[in-house]
Amino acid sequence: MTNHWADLRNADVVLVMGANPAENHPISMKWIQRAKEQRGAKLIVVDPRFTRTAAKADLYAPMRSGTDIAFLGGMIKFILDNNMYFRDYIVNYTNAPFLVNPDFKTCTDLDGLFSGYDPKTRKYDKKTWTFQLDANGVPKQDRTLKDPHCVFQLLKRQYSRYTPGKVSEITGTPGDVLLQVYRLYATTGVPNKVGTECYAMGWTQHTIGTQNIRAMTIIQMLLGNMGMAGGGVNALRGESNVQGSTDHGLLFNTLPGYLATPTASWTDLATYNDKNTPKTKEAKSVNWWSNKPKYMVSYLKAIYGAKATKDNDFGYNWLPKLDEGQNCSWLFLFDQMFKGKFEGFFAWGQNPACSGSNAGKVRKALSKLKWMVDVNLFDNETGSFWRGPGMNPKDVQTEVFMLPACFSVEKEGSITNSGRLAQWRYKAIEPIGQSKPDSDIMNELFFRVKKLYQKQGGKFPEPIFNLTWDYGEKDAEGKVKEVNTHKIAMEINGYHLEDLYDKKAVPPKLIAKKGDLCASFVNLQDDGTTSCGNWIYSQSYTQKDGKIINMMARRDKSDPTGMGFFPGWAWAWPVNRKIIYNRCSVDPEGRPWDQKRPVIKWDATKINPATNKPGVWVGDVPDGPAPPLAAEGGKLPFIMKPDGVGSIFGPGLADGPFPEHYEPLECPIQENPMSKQYNSPTIKLWYTKEGQKIAPEDIFASCDVRYPFVATTYRVSEHWQTGVLTRHEPWQLEMVPQVFIEISKELAAEKGIKSGDKVMVSSARGNLWAKAVVTGRLKPFKIAGNTVHQVGMPWHFGWQWPADGSGGESANLLTPTIGDSNTMIPETKAFMVNVEKM
Amino acid sequence: MKSEHEEIKMWTPTTAFLVLIMIFGLVIMVYRLFKGLGAVTNLSDRFPWGLWIGVDVLGGVAMAAGGFLIAGAVYILNMKKYRPIVRAAILNAFFGYLLAATAITLDIGLPWNIWHPIVMWQIHSVMWVVAIHVVLYTSTLATESSPIFFEKFGMEKAAGFIHKIIVPVVLFGVLLSTLHQSSLGAVYLIAARKLSPFWYNSQVPTLFLISAVMMGLSMVSFETVLSEKYLGHKADIGILSGLARGTLITGVILFIAKIWFLFSGPGIPAAFNGTMEANMYLLEMIVGVVLPIILLSMKNVRENMKSIFFVDILVISGVLLNRLNVSILGVYRDQASTGFSYFPTWMEFVVTFAFIAFAIIGFKVSVKYLRVFPKTEAQH
Amino acid sequence: MADTKPKGVLVDLTRCIGCRGCQVACKEWNERSVKKTVMYGNFTNPPELNSECYTNIRYIEQDNGGVPVWSFVKNQCLHCKNPACASVCPVEALKKTEAGPVTYNFERCIGCRYCMLACPFYIPKYEWEKAVPWVRKCTFCSERVANGLVPACIKVCPTQTMYYSDFDGVRAEAERRISQNPGKYVSHIYGKEEAGGTSWIYISGVPFETLGFNMAIPAQPYPDLTWAYIKKIPAVIGVVIAAGAVSWAITRRNKNMDKEE
Ligand SMILES: Nc1nc2c(c(=O)[nH]1)N[C@H]1C(S)=C(S)[C@@H](COP(=O)(O)OP(=O)(O)OC[C@H]3O[C@@H](n4cnc5c(=O)[nH]c(N)nc54)[C@H](O)[C@@H]3O)O[C@H]1N2
Ligand SMILES: Nc1nc2c(c(=O)[nH]1)N[C@H]1C(S)=C(S)[C@@H](COP(=O)(O)OP(=O)(O)OC[C@H]3O[C@@H](n4cnc5c(=O)[nH]c(N)nc54)[C@H](O)[C@@H]3O)O[C@H]1N2
Ligand code: SF4
Ligand code: SF4
Ligand code: SF4
Ligand code: SF4
Ligand code: SF4
Ligand SMILES: [Mo]
Repeated sequence: MTNHWADLRNADVVLVMGANPAENHPISMKWIQRAKEQRGAKLIVVDPRFTRTAAKADLYAPMRSGTDIAFLGGMIKFILDNNMYFRDYIVNYTNAPFLVNPDFKTCTDLDGLFSGYDPKTRKYDKKTWTFQLDANGVPKQDRTLKDPHCVFQLLKRQYSRYTPGKVSEITGTPGDVLLQVYRLYATTGVPNKVGTECYAMGWTQHTIGTQNIRAMTIIQMLLGNMGMAGGGVNALRGESNVQGSTDHGLLFNTLPGYLATPTASWTDLATYNDKNTPKTKEAKSVNWWSNKPKYMVSYLKAIYGAKATKDNDFGYNWLPKLDEGQNCSWLFLFDQMFKGKFEGFFAWGQNPACSGSNAGKVRKALSKLKWMVDVNLFDNETGSFWRGPGMNPKDVQTEVFMLPACFSVEKEGSITNSGRLAQWRYKAIEPIGQSKPDSDIMNELFFRVKKLYQKQGGKFPEPIFNLTWDYGEKDAEGKVKEVNTHKIAMEINGYHLEDLYDKKAVPPKLIAKKGDLCASFVNLQDDGTTSCGNWIYSQSYTQKDGKIINMMARRDKSDPTGMGFFPGWAWAWPVNRKIIYNRCSVDPEGRPWDQKRPVIKWDATKINPATNKPGVWVGDVPDGPAPPLAAEGGKLPFIMKPDGVGSIFGPGLADGPFPEHYEPLECPIQENPMSKQYNSPTIKLWYTKEGQKIAPEDIFASCDVRYPFVATTYRVSEHWQTGVLTRHEPWQLEMVPQVFIEISKELAAEKGIKSGDKVMVSSARGNLWAKAVVTGRLKPFKIAGNTVHQVGMPWHFGWQWPADGSGGESANLLTPTIGDSNTMIPETKAFMVNVEKM
Repeated sequence: MKSEHEEIKMWTPTTAFLVLIMIFGLVIMVYRLFKGLGAVTNLSDRFPWGLWIGVDVLGGVAMAAGGFLIAGAVYILNMKKYRPIVRAAILNAFFGYLLAATAITLDIGLPWNIWHPIVMWQIHSVMWVVAIHVVLYTSTLATESSPIFFEKFGMEKAAGFIHKIIVPVVLFGVLLSTLHQSSLGAVYLIAARKLSPFWYNSQVPTLFLISAVMMGLSMVSFETVLSEKYLGHKADIGILSGLARGTLITGVILFIAKIWFLFSGPGIPAAFNGTMEANMYLLEMIVGVVLPIILLSMKNVRENMKSIFFVDILVISGVLLNRLNVSILGVYRDQASTGFSYFPTWMEFVVTFAFIAFAIIGFKVSVKYLRVFPKTEAQH
Repeated sequence: MADTKPKGVLVDLTRCIGCRGCQVACKEWNERSVKKTVMYGNFTNPPELNSECYTNIRYIEQDNGGVPVWSFVKNQCLHCKNPACASVCPVEALKKTEAGPVTYNFERCIGCRYCMLACPFYIPKYEWEKAVPWVRKCTFCSERVANGLVPACIKVCPTQTMYYSDFDGVRAEAERRISQNPGKYVSHIYGKEEAGGTSWIYISGVPFETLGFNMAIPAQPYPDLTWAYIKKIPAVIGVVIAAGAVSWAITRRNKNMDKEE
């Protein structure tokens, strides 16, 4: 989230599109309802089906799964056509006035493609996706926004095709409802009205997932809603600590703190820094990422300690590296496993046999392994895959081990929520049986691997031998007896490894002593004198006046500004900032756009103790201490962007600098009504390699009479994910005991299905039974002149539990192996199925 | 034991059959005690009361109304004519109440707590009132019928003492019965909006009382005829006609009252709207009230034992039906509104039959071994 | 603990998001197990309260000119001010307490189930399958309330659907919300009058009659229905005894006269 949970109460319009917070983030509804009750805020819900969130909406718009860009593109056009954008905001704070390379072509010019596309490689050559630079190397601007090559005009051009009629034709949203949504949301384009957006998997799990979110960021910038209280683009995140785990480098392509994973061609630290540190010629840009080398070196110091020296590039080459172009995301991993490329696999805190898109393929892939370790609280469909449906245990050679992990309440540590708020949790009860915290399992594993290396030797032992592992008291053998999570948290926060002086002061002033915990990432160094496990968490476990403070354990409920920042409650990264990009909430003079809803405010009358000059920010922790843009030494607000402004034109993504509507890989229409380009041009197609036989698991069926209905998958409040934590829980199971499929009354009538009937749902890849929920909450769509039925089902079930099979199977037996061009997240939200009464 | 009526054969096939049912019923009752009501009955949260309450308790108690009526007539109103049947009537009532009490004990979830109302008073509860009445009235009936036993065992003194106090005892019994019969109706006063307006009105206690009187008279008459038939006791047609006249009078009163409540409640046309409730109401009215009135208003019917017997059956069925309507069918639509339904299990039926069998056999044994009916020369 | 005023709860249906946290919290606090269910087409599950389930959310779908309307209705004992269930209980096993909750005392109960027939809201449930059965219903978490804690279901509710306070405050809050938000609520407080008033009251944006609320429940306190009868009993006793004695006296004289004749 750019903002945070409690901030939802500051919104005037809440657009929930691509999420279902009432069911999946119930607490958020407390704040949304507070906005409604206290500010008269309006809630808009756009979802293929009428959800429990929609039940609380002031305005609900149905839309066919996978067509959000059409919907949002239409909104962009509406805002532009009706001059409802926030002009001062976009001129000052976004790249709307920037002039783009004249050779750049929009999808309007090239019928669905941007300039630079190579159909052979399915990639864009981005050389035209650039700005025209002036003599100083700074992008040229036309602040009147009239130049035909300025971003603003290109945006207009790109979305000129997204007329309400065209959008309705694609999305199936009734035209009047569409316009109501546009009109209502666009009212926030004035300084004293703010709109927020809440999304989650409804947007991400598409071949165009990243662009869905991009489209919204464009809208939020046009309307001046970024950085504002009650604004932002808010990812309602998933697994309880998924925010924390991505922050800490869970993904294959990031190290902690969103530093890039090295690739093979970045052979030394200098190259790495060179390739990864953005540069700018814009004097007013903070370009915070220019500090990257400090964070990287401090990270290396944290993991390799004294072994990391300047001479050995701080151990840079002990880090694992990706091959050029290598993608190790979920779909690739399981595809490789399916093709027999792996020997072993740790299913650590996951249940891919049910959660993995195309679960039939996943289950087969598991059977190709030699061994598998299931680290979980319970046995599950993954650990027991070899005795699952369609498996003959005799034929499965995979040796499966189960390591019992204990549950979150049985261990201590931090958890970071969607609002970037890291909260410390205590152990409530002792672990049951032989189960252990994951960190202790990891500790055991690390120690044994290390011992094997010591005993038997092995290739490239340095990364193992040189790893710091000071997480508690060690036994005679040197093994940490029990991992102390406080030690980990402190390592993440970072230490000063040498005394640090402020050299500008005369005489140099001691800032921090050797051995001190870092006060924040501001003091991190690139010379090896600081260590920090994750720069964005620096300050989370810190030290003040010699006293060590676990900031994440703070529990002060006071709200000094009345804006709901609660600065004394736990700790949010970065530096306890609650709303990021908050420098956009003020005008260039530092006055809040909305005086009634100040996030920060430049108070020019006060003396800043740090600089001894007049002018301080009050309110939330500002995005950098520099004065406001118009003041002397003022800086642009988007400090993480090299240009210092928000990217309406975003050349960073694989599939285009502007979002464009493409049909999901499996869709119900022959042609994309928007352009000649049917599906996203840059998605990885698994079956097109020359001469490669298509596995039956990888079959797709678009516009296939055998699979005529658009399907989506989702969650219900009563279950958690693959249900391993909730299917064993009778109270939860009582409420939603079986997998079901929601279908419209019209489709039910057509198919002779009644509520409660058992139906067979099938896709090109698999099938499962489900109980029919016939409801008026889903309605057939009119898409390109035809009636198209949408159905939806939860994916919380699996064969293994309830033991009598009464719960049913995972909906992922239906979903495809296809992912987003940028993230490779699977497209589990839009695919085609058939439904038949059993 | 010395038989009073040698001519009554103890073991007939019918008796054997009834004993068999009783044993079967007993087994089910024991099973119920160990396995809970759910294992034996089809009762559910929406149908907390079923056949046992409807027939065994409500019906049983109404059937036993003959006891207080005849006792009152003989001992208080001095209607000597009915003296020959007074003992039978009281004994019958006694059995009736014992059975109703047993049925309640079996039906409540915690039978071992059956005594609680005696010490844990809750005077706002009709159920408490009923409970106290059952206790008191069963004791009263025991007292009223005790001379039969005292005589049997030659305790003439005790019998004499009872005889001395019989008038106040009977008066007390009449009082309790009046209250009790009406209280059973009052139980349903709380079921406002649940019980169909065909049966629900503020005077449901009074209607229960009146119908119980009608039922009681018919029941005595019915038994008298039966004992003539099967126990070789000579029935006096004069008594039967008298009872029939009583039935007729109460029937007319009941008819007027019911029509009034139909009129002031759901309205007369509602009775013909074809719903299950309306049909059941009509059936109950026709069988239990209208037909008996029409028939009994004919003198030749009133003086013919066979036709009286027929009318008795009508009245008994009618009132039983009424109790069933109030307790089950009248609340059915409301209770079944969420998809629940109720039809008794075979076990509920067996237990009900077992109770009836017990009553019949108990009476038979009593007649055979006790001096229930005065000795008539003709028989010896 | 100083606050001893009777407690009440306002259930504001406009706030409920149907997440069923309350349903689970209630089970947890009251240590209830489950009864096997199936997906039968509606999310209300279990479809009805039962001895293991003191509260459930009913999901009610309606249609307003093509736009679905989906309501979530929390369902539990309303803790009537003059509870029918307690008034009919022959042994005072059910009892309206000073603090507000209508509580159940198994030690007294005889299992007659008259409370089930009496309750106009079909709340008390029975343990049919047990040899030693209890009557079961929402307790208003009376032990929690007695210790100054809010009821479990209220504690977990993410949207503050339930407002818990002393009853006067609760009613005032209901009235305030209705009057200060014109058009948002239907102008009826369910439970303010029904059955003589309940300690749990409801406000809603959708007409109550379409949400399965029984609008036919009279405003008269239910216990009055039977009390009207019971209070006549002394009179009946008097009349019957007097009438009996008099007729006995008369008929005896007649008898004696008969003899004399
Ligand atoms: N109770 C509960 N809460 C959870 C979870 C859980 O399993 N159970 N899981 C957690 C996790 S890991 C995550 S990632 C989050 C996910 O949170 P959400 O994204 O809210 O979860 P979903 O239910 O998968 O999808 C949200 C909605 O997207 C809609 N949808 C489907 N296709 C489309 C589309 O093309 N466009 C749009 N606009 N909407 C579409 C679905 O109908 C659904 O209502 O929830 C978290 N919270
Ligand atoms: N069709 C479809 N598929 C989807 C999605 C969808 O919307 N539709 N959503 C996707 C999303 S967003 C996600 S996040 C994934 C989730 O996919 P998975 O992560 O594979 O699924 P979970 O069921 O959350 O698995 C987590 C496991 O961790 C175990 N666990 C819980 N606590 C601990 C612990 O402390 N330690 C250890 N070791 N184990 C623990 C649980 O028992 C559970 O088995 O599914 C994805 N799959
Ligand atoms: S994280 Fe927990 S408290 Fe928060 S909404 Fe989800 S279930 Fe509720
Ligand atoms: S709702 Fe029913 S159970 Fe609850 S107090 Fe009222 S009458 Fe008693
Ligand atoms: S079942 Fe128990 S609580 Fe209910 S009325 Fe009877 S004795 Fe009272
Ligand atoms: S008040 Fe207590 S017992 Fe009643 S529904 Fe809420 S949690 Fe359950
Ligand atoms: S916890 Fe609150 S919001 Fe959720 S279902 Fe219960 S009452 Fe409604
Ligand atoms: Mo997720």
